[in-house]
Amino acid sequence: MAQILYTFTLLKNKRVNSKHIGKIREIRMIWKSKSAITKMQALAIVIIIVVAAIAAYYLTRPTPTLIKNPDTIITTVYGPPSTLDPAFAYDGIVQIMNVYETLIFFDKEHIDRFRPVLATEVPTIENGLISPDGLTYIFPIRKGVKFHNGNPLTPEDVEYSFERMMVCDPDGGPVWMLLQPLLDRYCTRDENGNIAVSAEEIDKAVESNATHVIFHLKKPYPAFLQILSLSVGVILDKEWCIEQGCWPGTWNNWTEYNNPSTPPLDTKMMGTGPFKFEKWDRSAGEFIIVRNEDYWGEPAKVKRVVWKFIPEWSTKIMMFLKGDIDIIADVPKAYIQQLEGVEGIVCFKDLPLLAIITMVFNFNISSTSPYIGSGKLDGEGIPPNFFADKYVRLGFAYSFPYEEYIQEAYLGEAKRIATCIPDNIPFYNPEQEMYSLNLTKAEECFRKAFNGELWEKGFKVTVPYGIGMDYEEETRIALEMLAENLREVNPKFQLIIQGVELTTYEAQLYGEDPSPVPLNAAAMWWADFADPDNFFSGFMGSAGMYSWNMYFSTPYIDELLANGSSTLDPEVRREVYYELQRIYHDEVLGIPLVQLIGRWYQRDWIKGWYFRPVWEEVVLYSELEKGY
Amino acid sequence: MGLGAYIARRLLLFIPVLIGVTILIFLISMSFTPEQRAVLYARSPKQLRSLRQLAQKYHLYDPIHIQYINWLNNVLHGNLGWSITANMPVSQAIIEFFPATLELVLYSAPFIYIVGTRLGIISAVKRDTAIDHGTRVLAIIGWALPTFWSAILLLSVFYGHLDLFPPGRLGEAATRYVQSPKFTRYTGLNTIDALLNGEIWIFLDALRHLVLPVTNLVIVTSALIMRVMRSSMLETLSKAYITMARAKGLDEKEVINKHARRNALIPVITVTGSLFATMICGLVVTESVFNYMGIGYWAAKAAVCLDIAAILGFSLFVAIVFVVTNLIVDVLYAFLDPRIRLG
Repeated sequence: MAQILYTFTLLKNKRVNSKHIGKIREIRMIWKSKSAITKMQALAIVIIIVVAAIAAYYLTRPTPTLIKNPDTIITTVYGPPSTLDPAFAYDGIVQIMNVYETLIFFDKEHIDRFRPVLATEVPTIENGLISPDGLTYIFPIRKGVKFHNGNPLTPEDVEYSFERMMVCDPDGGPVWMLLQPLLDRYCTRDENGNIAVSAEEIDKAVESNATHVIFHLKKPYPAFLQILSLSVGVILDKEWCIEQGCWPGTWNNWTEYNNPSTPPLDTKMMGTGPFKFEKWDRSAGEFIIVRNEDYWGEPAKVKRVVWKFIPEWSTKIMMFLKGDIDIIADVPKAYIQQLEGVEGIVCFKDLPLLAIITMVFNFNISSTSPYIGSGKLDGEGIPPNFFADKYVRLGFAYSFPYEEYIQEAYLGEAKRIATCIPDNIPFYNPEQEMYSLNLTKAEECFRKAFNGELWEKGFKVTVPYGIGMDYEEETRIALEMLAENLREVNPKFQLIIQGVELTTYEAQLYGEDPSPVPLNAAAMWWADFADPDNFFSGFMGSAGMYSWNMYFSTPYIDELLANGSSTLDPEVRREVYYELQRIYHDEVLGIPLVQLIGRWYQRDWIKGWYFRPVWEEVVLYSELEKGY
Repeated sequence: MGLGAYIARRLLLFIPVLIGVTILIFLISMSFTPEQRAVLYARSPKQLRSLRQLAQKYHLYDPIHIQYINWLNNVLHGNLGWSITANMPVSQAIIEFFPATLELVLYSAPFIYIVGTRLGIISAVKRDTAIDHGTRVLAIIGWALPTFWSAILLLSVFYGHLDLFPPGRLGEAATRYVQSPKFTRYTGLNTIDALLNGEIWIFLDALRHLVLPVTNLVIVTSALIMRVMRSSMLETLSKAYITMARAKGLDEKEVINKHARRNALIPVITVTGSLFATMICGLVVTESVFNYMGIGYWAAKAAVCLDIAAILGFSLFVAIVFVVTNLIVDVLYAFLDPRIRLG
């Protein structure tokens, strides 16, 4: 190396003579006599030079603008979609909603006002597009709209899209939201998996003519327009779908297309929206959509939107701070401090989400449950009907430190709730009483439970939580606080907290009947649509996700739920939902923990974002701009 | 026995290994209830209500041997199954995720080897001197450093503060170019594809993104090789033929580099082989922190989600990598030490 450098210097100065050649030889001798370690050093020098050259190349490049990637929005909100087939997709629908379009959509931040999209008018009773009995909805379809492959949009495509949803109806999918109003069922199959609806029923539910699409509902359904604004209401290109192996639109063999094991449109999209699907690079963790230059409406303001799915939070935060990511939405509490007051970053705080967390009591714990100790009221366990005693539930409700919990687990960024609905849902009763921490009252109740036997003997119950579940830390804190207070009320009251492997926990909680879990410590619900029915049926109905195997639903509750969800009369609905809130509180069906409050972090060069409480992660990126 | 026959025999032995590995994984996975395994198919927490229906739909209630035979039958027909975590067939997932890991390993392995053996030799030759102690302490520090910690530290200094080496595999402009039709993918390795396409700037960009993960791997893994090299070197240096070499007046460098080093390399090759194989099967932490999604990241995610098809496919891949690497190591032995005969 030294020899090369020396020779190079000489050549450059054009002063080579025999003296210098001698010198070069001398250097070569020294070089040869050196050990391999020197060669290693030489290698190291070469590497350093290469690295420095690369660094210099990048550092000296002129920066074209202060805004990084000015024509591209780079976002991390939220994780990768589980599928792109709208009949299967439940969470993670933001990509679907930016490529496909619905007939109508929420008007900006309003959850009860809509704007026409692929329909030219939003139906109301006043404009005659909703029949007075609330059973027929008519949508005039926009003309001149083209799918991204050039096919024109027709009312037939709209009819096909909804019928295909119902024909497909995969287990656990989102199609129940359409089946409820249109067929008055949750599923196209019965409990044994046999087809339980006829082709005729599906066919008649949605009809089209040359200009309009008509929906025939089985019962008035207050949330119907909201449901049509979600991903179950996106409009597909019939011809393209059939090419991809979807249901061909005929009725003789439609059952073959029911409940498929893999989504036919799992990794492809062909919509009418302001963005076209470009690539889902799963190995690079990227999802890319590009502007549709042929869009029928106002074109998107940025050329491209890129979702980056970065598993490591510290890396994500670092990239956000450097401006390599534009939007990260909410961040874990541990990173809040790091982003506080940083120039170029905007944080929208106190966003009331349509999401709540409650604890749910199990009235009929499986007798083989590993969590109930002796299974008897002997101080070494609990009987399976432990929580069926109202005084036990009351005692628990008075033992929970609601305010302190919000401070400790959420740093104050959460709201108290009275029952199982958030306060920004229609028919929320602001006057509804709430339980507060009161250990004296707790003692009174516990003394009455099981005719005083409980107070004498005490109890020992294990409450599990899933390791790695959402809000795991907050759940653990809640249980620890509850356990501590119960011990304070009576030292013989033992609540043991146990972390359980997540799939085991979820299978026990949602898959077993009756459930072996005595107390669901974190029953969490994000609204599918902004209607109280969406919460109450999940938390109180005999078929509800959190109540079906907990055995506290009554025919009266089911009747109320049925009445509330099948009328458009606001007075009737108010009465029903106030009554359900009263029952939830008076009967202590659970311990209402919090309504979640969100944050939204973005770079200050992103303009046009607003908060819509329902499906807040479904940002229409065509409305966002990048620039100052 | 000739080399060809030896390799053929080793490859044949591979089949029972594969069957054994997959049966073992199947047995372990069956310790989970069908409902637990059905959690994987719930695409949203809201679908958990349908666990039983999902378990039924995906035949999770079938007896274990039926499930295994079905799987094996599919494999023999070239179908490794569908990976829910990757949203693609398992074989495709391996093909898509592997190049990132391979690229990382190809660039870091030589450095790990060179740094490890060099430090090992220095340490052995200068035994019990300050240099020896210093190198050993350094190596132990590198070995003891939690990978994620050193990775985050490197990232926050060289990206956060100096903005020199960003995370990911390519920068924004390069990514867009690579995804465009102008760029042809040959190997999936960015640096090699960039050169094959004649795009030097993409090559440099890819190199720039490799610097930190490679450095991190060198820091945390060289120590193992260094320690093996040191002890093996010490043992060799005490051999009679080394004393003989010195006695006949050979230069010390010659003694170390020609006589001692080559003989001391045998155990190092063994360790390097398995280290290389382990690395090629995924570097979960390094890949995650540097957002360099490779096969390790995918496999870890599949394992956490009980994505049985993915785990089985990945295990087959791991088994193949190990068998092939061990074969290469054995052939290398014979090359390094002509006294070793294969077969």
